[in-house]
Amino acid sequence: MRFRGWYWLLLIASLLIVATIGIAYGAASVSLGGVFAALHGSGDPTSIAIVRDLRLPRVVLGALVGAGLGASGAALQGSLRNPLAEPYLLGVSGGAAVGAVIVFALGFSSDGAVTVAAFVGSVAAVILALAVSRVGARGSRVDLRTLLVAGVIVGAFANATIMVALASAEPNTVRGALFWMMGSAADATWPRVIWLALSIAIAGGALIYWAREIDVLALGEETAASLGIDAERSGRRIFLIAALLAAATVAAAGLIGFVGLVVPHMARRLGLRAHRQLVLGAALIGATLVIAADLAARTVAAPTELPLGAITALLGVPFFLVQLRRAT
Amino acid sequence: MYFIRRLSLVALAFAFTVAGCKKAEAPRAAATDDFGDSVRIGAAPSRIVSLSPATTEILFTLGAGPRLVGRTKYDLWPDSAKLVPSVGDGLRPNVEAVLAVHPDLVVIYASQDNRPAATRLRAAGVNTLALRGDRISEFRRVVQLLGATIGDTARAKILADSVYHTLDSVLAATRPLPKPTVFWHVWDAPVITIGGGSFMNDLVDIAGGRNVYADIKAPSGTVSLEDVSRRDPDIILAGPDGKHQIESDARWRIVRAVREGRIFLVDTGVVARPSVRLGEAAVLIAKLLHPGTLH
Repeated sequence: MRFRGWYWLLLIASLLIVATIGIAYGAASVSLGGVFAALHGSGDPTSIAIVRDLRLPRVVLGALVGAGLGASGAALQGSLRNPLAEPYLLGVSGGAAVGAVIVFALGFSSDGAVTVAAFVGSVAAVILALAVSRVGARGSRVDLRTLLVAGVIVGAFANATIMVALASAEPNTVRGALFWMMGSAADATWPRVIWLALSIAIAGGALIYWAREIDVLALGEETAASLGIDAERSGRRIFLIAALLAAATVAAAGLIGFVGLVVPHMARRLGLRAHRQLVLGAALIGATLVIAADLAARTVAAPTELPLGAITALLGVPFFLVQLRRAT
Repeated sequence: MYFIRRLSLVALAFAFTVAGCKKAEAPRAAATDDFGDSVRIGAAPSRIVSLSPATTEILFTLGAGPRLVGRTKYDLWPDSAKLVPSVGDGLRPNVEAVLAVHPDLVVIYASQDNRPAATRLRAAGVNTLALRGDRISEFRRVVQLLGATIGDTARAKILADSVYHTLDSVLAATRPLPKPTVFWHVWDAPVITIGGGSFMNDLVDIAGGRNVYADIKAPSGTVSLEDVSRRDPDIILAGPDGKHQIESDARWRIVRAVREGRIFLVDTGVVARPSVRLGEAAVLIAKLLHPGTLH
């Protein structure tokens, strides 16, 4: 498929439509007129609270998480030249979970504490993965593929730590941590949304700024070298930015799998090739997918909420299969 | 034993009738709940959402059942609780579904994962009471705080007195009796039992038994079959599923109580909640531990 300019309009329009539906529907039935009035701060105070304090931040948070994971996945798959690369494979998710579980186990699971601990945990895991890959290289040049292996190793170690911690923890603690690991946009608050928006603006901006380097890295290390780019340095830089981007989303909404893996493939199927466009396209598709998944998570079995990470996969897989079929 | 229980029920019913006649309107004030947040007391809320089975049971017993407009999907006692619409889960509840029934009081279980929901409900202007009563010793505090919040401290006191009265009489009746050792089966794979940190451990003590895993400080713990056999309990307590699992799994035969057929069925709906039926639960367990000696 060749990408055409008006596809951008299509992507933006579907994001806006899904976001509007996400604000209009939920477990409580508020009339469309009521939703509109509530957005302007008039009408029944319960509807205002539901629309402005619950649904709106939740939809925005979902969009940001999806955008961050999509962009991060696109950059990683390109720079590591591996279609199976995804943010959660880099130890980011494991590190974040270790951070969160520690905070839950210590008993202060206030909103800010979990977010900060998850972020610190994932950054620590990424630094550890970089260190492991350096040890593997023994001073010589680091093969970028080693980074992926190092990430998987750090992730496995983190998972083992979590299992041991949860087995010996109090049931209440375990429950809190498990809920967190299933991923959810339910705890969206404006401070959290703003914090995530800033992180995504900075890290996403950096990815787009260095998008040409991802293009070159995607051609292979030797080609990169012949084009005058230090593949190792540049690869590490992209790895670090993409990991930080994913870490910010994990800190804000827990683990929401699948998006970082599949969304970049969807963007490529639309015909996006150059990474400047690919990262942007993946961000838009990711945002739309997560808002739609969250809408399903909170309405399908209402008032019970389904785990968001499972819904993203349920929605994403058929999409992916249809595209795969068309491509062959 | 049976007589004592009957008598206390009659006394309870009588006392409630008396309390119902007095209309005491306490002045508006505030108390601190189990999250350390301030909750308005003394008013008489008319639309209550209760987000844990134990508080729903207490509210019905305090006569506030007709004022309930929401419960969790697990709140099935008393039968009339089933007529109250469910708002889903009580742990990490769906705040939107709770707000949709326009409550003026929400009672929520005070565990850490419920903190965001409590904060949101408060932010939406709903009086929110977070309670955590996991031990028998905490029951009075929970009932009194609930009573104060719904504007009925008199009935709350009577309810607490009545439950503790029944527990005291069970304790008095079992004190001179020998103390059989008990293994409480909660879950089969992995094997989970009640630890010293649970009100169910307190119930075993009051009923004149001794929990073989009282040394586990947490409310529950995962244990191995081998260790259960080593601690050699005289009696095993289990729910219907648990009893079936133990009896149909040959590995459990390494435990003497299983070989000798001393696995007793307990009604988990009665004994698994730190609520108004604590007295009934203690009587039930005492009868299982001391068959024939208690009446």
